[in-house]
Formats: sequence, C-alpha cells, structure tokens
Amino acid sequence: MADHPHSHDVLPEPGRGRETPIDAGSQALSEALHSSFSVIKVAMVFLVLLFLASGFFTVGPQEQAIILRFGRPVGQGQAALLGPGIHFSLPYPIDSHEKVPVAGKQEVRSTIGWYAVTPEQELAGTEPFGGASLNPVVDGYALTADNNIVHTRVTLNYRINDPIRYVFSFVSASNAVQNALDNALIYAAAHYTVDDLLYRDVLGFRETVLKRVSAVIRDQDLGVIIEQCSVQSVPPRQLKDAFDSVLKAEVNRSKVLNEARSYENQVLSKASADSSSRTNLAESDRVRLVNDVASRADQFQKLLPKYRENPGLFAQQRLTETLGRVYTNAQEKIFVAEAADGKTRELRGLFNRETPKKPEAQKP
Amino acid sequence: MKQKSFALALGGLLVLIFGLWLCAFQVRQSEVAVVTTFGRPTRPITNADWYVQAPWPIQRVWKFDQRVQNFESQLTESLTRDNFNLLTKVYAGWKITDPAAFFPKFAGTSEPIADAEKVLTRLLANATTAVVGKHPLSDFVSATDNGTNFVAVENEIFAAVQSQVRANNYGLDIEFLGFKKVELPEKVTESVFERMQSERKVLADKSQSEGEAEAQNIRSDADRRAAEMLANAESQATRIQGEGEAVAAQYLAVFQQNPDLANFIFRLNALEVSLKDRSTLILDQHIPPFDLFQGVSTNLLKP
Repeated sequence: MADHPHSHDVLPEPGRGRETPIDAGSQALSEALHSSFSVIKVAMVFLVLLFLASGFFTVGPQEQAIILRFGRPVGQGQAALLGPGIHFSLPYPIDSHEKVPVAGKQEVRSTIGWYAVTPEQELAGTEPFGGASLNPVVDGYALTADNNIVHTRVTLNYRINDPIRYVFSFVSASNAVQNALDNALIYAAAHYTVDDLLYRDVLGFRETVLKRVSAVIRDQDLGVIIEQCSVQSVPPRQLKDAFDSVLKAEVNRSKVLNEARSYENQVLSKASADSSSRTNLAESDRVRLVNDVASRADQFQKLLPKYRENPGLFAQQRLTETLGRVYTNAQEKIFVAEAADGKTRELRGLFNRETPKKPEAQKP
Repeated sequence: MKQKSFALALGGLLVLIFGLWLCAFQVRQSEVAVVTTFGRPTRPITNADWYVQAPWPIQRVWKFDQRVQNFESQLTESLTRDNFNLLTKVYAGWKITDPAAFFPKFAGTSEPIADAEKVLTRLLANATTAVVGKHPLSDFVSATDNGTNFVAVENEIFAAVQSQVRANNYGLDIEFLGFKKVELPEKVTESVFERMQSERKVLADKSQSEGEAEAQNIRSDADRRAAEMLANAESQATRIQGEGEAVAAQYLAVFQQNPDLANFIFRLNALEVSLKDRSTLILDQHIPPFDLFQGVSTNLLKP
C-alpha cells in the first residue's frame, strides 16, 4: 500500500469522509487501518452468515430428524418428525437436531437358541457338523421344560411407534428389543416340552414368545409396536435320526390304525348285512308258515263237512287222489310184484345223484 | 457514520456469538451433565435446557448419556439348589440418574460407561450366583408353572443388583433385567443328548407297540361287535319264527274239531310234498292203488 500513496489525493474514497491528511506517514497508517478494517468487515459478515447457516441441515431419504430447542424435542410424537429435505434450526445453543431412523419396519432376529452357523452356510442351506456336545459360548440352544435341548430362532418385525422415546430414552432401542426377544425365546422354551415345542403345539409356542416379548417391551416402554414374529425350531442335529425315527414310528402307527379301522368297517358291514338277511329270512319264514297254516285251516274248514257226511269214502277218495298225483310226479316208478311163492326178492339199483339237465321238460 | 455503526453492530453480534459459544451450553433431554469449577463438581444438571457457565478453564461441563444402556453379563456358571450346574447370561438396562454421584466414581477415566459396566458385571455375577443357588432347576424350566417362577427369579436378581447399586450410591439405576441365556455346561449337554436319544427310542417303541395294541383292540372289538350283531339277528330270527308259530298255533283250534281228519290231511300233504320231484318209487301190489293187481278189496268186482 505504501507504494501508491499519491493516488488518494486524486480520488478520495467515500468511506473516508472529509478527513484531511496531516502528513504522508499518518496518511499511510490510516490507509492501512482502513483497508484491514474492510477485510475484517467482510470476515465478520462471513462469520455471521456462517453462524446462521449452521442452522441448516439435510435429512436423507432413509431417515427423519427431530429439532431440540433448549434440549427438548419440538413437537410431540409423529408431529415432531421432519422428513427428508433441507431444514433450518436456530444455531446452537438454542436449537440442535437429532437424526432418527425411518419409523418404518424394523427387524430383529434372535439366534441365541441356534447353533453356530456362518452366513455362507446359511445361504447354502448346509449345516455345520454337530459335535458330541454343545459349546455354550459358540452354539446356542434353548432348554425345554423337560430339560431337553432344542434349537430355536425367531424373527421379529416391529414398527417404531414413539420415535422420541425410541431415540431419546435408549442408547440402542433395537438392542433392547433384541434382548427382550432373546428373553422371550428362552422363557417360552423353558415352559414347553420338547415334543410340544417341535411338533404338537408349534403355534402355542409362537404365541407364548409373542406374548412374552410384548409384555417385556410394554414394561420397558420401548416405543415400538410388534407387527409379527416367526419362529423356527429344530431338534439338535446330533439327534436328527432319533427324532426322525419317532416321527416314522408315529406315521407307521397311524397306518396300522387305519388298516385296523378299515378291517373294522369291513367286518361290521358284513355282519350287519348278514344279520339283516338272517332276520329277513326269518320274517319270510314266518309269513310263509302263517299263510300256510292259515290256508290249511281254511281248507280244513271246507273239507270237514264233506268228511262228516261219509268219513270212509272221503278218506279213500283223498288218499287215492293224492297217491295218483304222487305217482304221476315221481320220476321213476318200479313195480315189483310179490313172488308167487311168497319168498323175498332181491332188487339191485344204481343211483346217480347227478342233477338232470332238463328239469323243465319233466314238469308236464 | 452509518457504516461505522453497522460495523459496530456486526462486531457486537460476533462477540455475543463467541460469548455464547464459550459460556453457554445445551443439555439435551437424553443427557445429564456436571459442571466442575477448578476440577471440583459444583453443579449437577438433570433437566434439559440451556445453561450458562464460566469459560474454561474456570468451569468445565461434563455431559453423560442418560439414556438406557444395554448391558449383557458374561455367562455365569452357578449351582442351583438341587445341584445342577446352570450357565446363565443376564441382560440389563441401566442409566445414569445422579450425575453428581456418578461423576466422582467413574468420570476420571476416559470411558465412564465401560467403567460403570465393569462394576455392574461384578455385581450381576454375584447376584446371579446367589439367587440361582436359592432356586431348584424346576424354577427355571417347567411345563406347569406358567412362567411365574422364571419371572420371580429374574425379579429377585433385579432386586439384589438394584439394592447393591443403590447402597453403593453409584448414581445409576437398573431399569430392567432379564435372562438372555439359560444353558448347561458343555459336558452336561453330552449326557443330555444321550438321555434324549434313549427317550426318543422309548417314544418310538412306545408308539409302535401302542399302535399295534390299539389296532389289535380295534380288530377284536370289531369281531366282537360283529358276533354280537349276528347273535342278535339270530335271536331276533328265532323270535320272529316263534311269533309265526304262535300265530300258527291259533289255528290249532280249527284242526281240533277233528284231529283224525287233520292228521290225515297233513300226512297226505307231507307225502305229496316230499315226493314232489326226483324220486324213485319202488312199489308192490300191497300199496294202493296197485292192490288192484292183487284183486283184494275189490268187493265191487265180485257180484
């Protein structure tokens, strides 16, 4: 600046007013002061702007934010949440802001009851080799009510209901949910027998897990709502064959039972058919007998007066008539006259039991 | 002049901002704080707001997260009352409630939270061992008690730890506590597997033999019922026939009028029916009407 002092005489700057330079030295000082002052001015304006601008912040697409005025959230519940975009808050220490995860679906998995498995194995669907025992640090499992060991895991979906509570009351609310889920899983397993848990009451077990985790979350007031949970349980890998054999035996048992039932049906329906045919036969016998006797009685009634007129003749006539019919109907008639000397005569016959082929032809 | 006052205002504003940066601080809802004056804690702050302090190095503000911390204990092996070895892992939620009490005990280190958790680890291990020792295994796993004992054990541990924490005035509180793992020592799992194996075998055999026995029952029951049915039918048939005979017997009175004639007619009928077809008759001259050949009873022929 000192190399061009002359220029100020020619063009006095408006900011300097009407000051009259006393000498070249003071003029140079004043020059220097003035120009550094304007630099400072610019810097000051810049600082103030920077201070105000520090209140701007952006919220990304996967998050939301809450503004804190004097440390307390502005607004209540969902109203306090700011969506994605640019927002302004007053500078510290009046306001500050806090980002929260989107109040959408969250998911936690509890694997404390599952054996150690790497993500690659999980994807490939293979199981790690199961040793003779389970290392409690590495391999998770759950104890059942009958002191058996099962593997069980659960996935829980939940929604953040109260983001302010979720973020401002817990260092990691999702970990708290996870702990509650772990607790619910071992709690439920501890009150189910191994067969109920694995086969007989799978839904009940799931319900118990859900009920317990809901209770714990409600007690701890985590600010979340449970949407659903899914449970998967398996017997220990080491005992897979043993468990399978029980299942097989049960399948077999129901097969045997079904066979027995079909036998039962068969026998009973046959017996019922037989017995109804037996009673039907008896019924028809009865009808026949009654009709028979009735018609005979009828016949007898008619014959009786005739018989009384002349018993001997009547009898003779009936006998001869009947014998005549009998002889006519008989298939073969052999007449053997008595030997003239009154001796016994010998007769030989060959009887064939074969049914005659033309019974119709003989009738007339 | 206008420009000068603008510059002054600007400068004043900057001084104010700088002063605020230096002398004011905000305590959030999620925080508690302690203000120390020359290193000694003089003002604990538990309410969210903004506060003024003397600038460093006179006063200094220490802020702590007062949200609920998640904490998990180590797997602790303890003996139940009925001498089962049980491995338990407990989770707890705790938070700083009294910064004035918390600060002198833990804030000297760089990691006050981790330090406090070390203390909690010790307290929890002691409390867990003590409480587990008072309960039989059936309080932890049981098919019948609806989980009341399980919860009771958790509450007992909770109460024990809480009372220890309060007695020592650590400035923190346990908010909740529960089991995260209940397991058996590795050696024991092996014998559990053996037991389960034999249980499975028993179950398989049982369902096999039960199935067979039940099937046998069903079959024999079916046979019995079939026989019963037939016997019933038989007796019913007999009854029906009896009824028929009873009805027939009513006609006896009719025949009673002349038993000789009735007898005669019955015999004639029987004779006719029995010789209806496929019969061979061997006759001689004594049987009517062939006695005609003999010439007997032919009174009519003898004039």
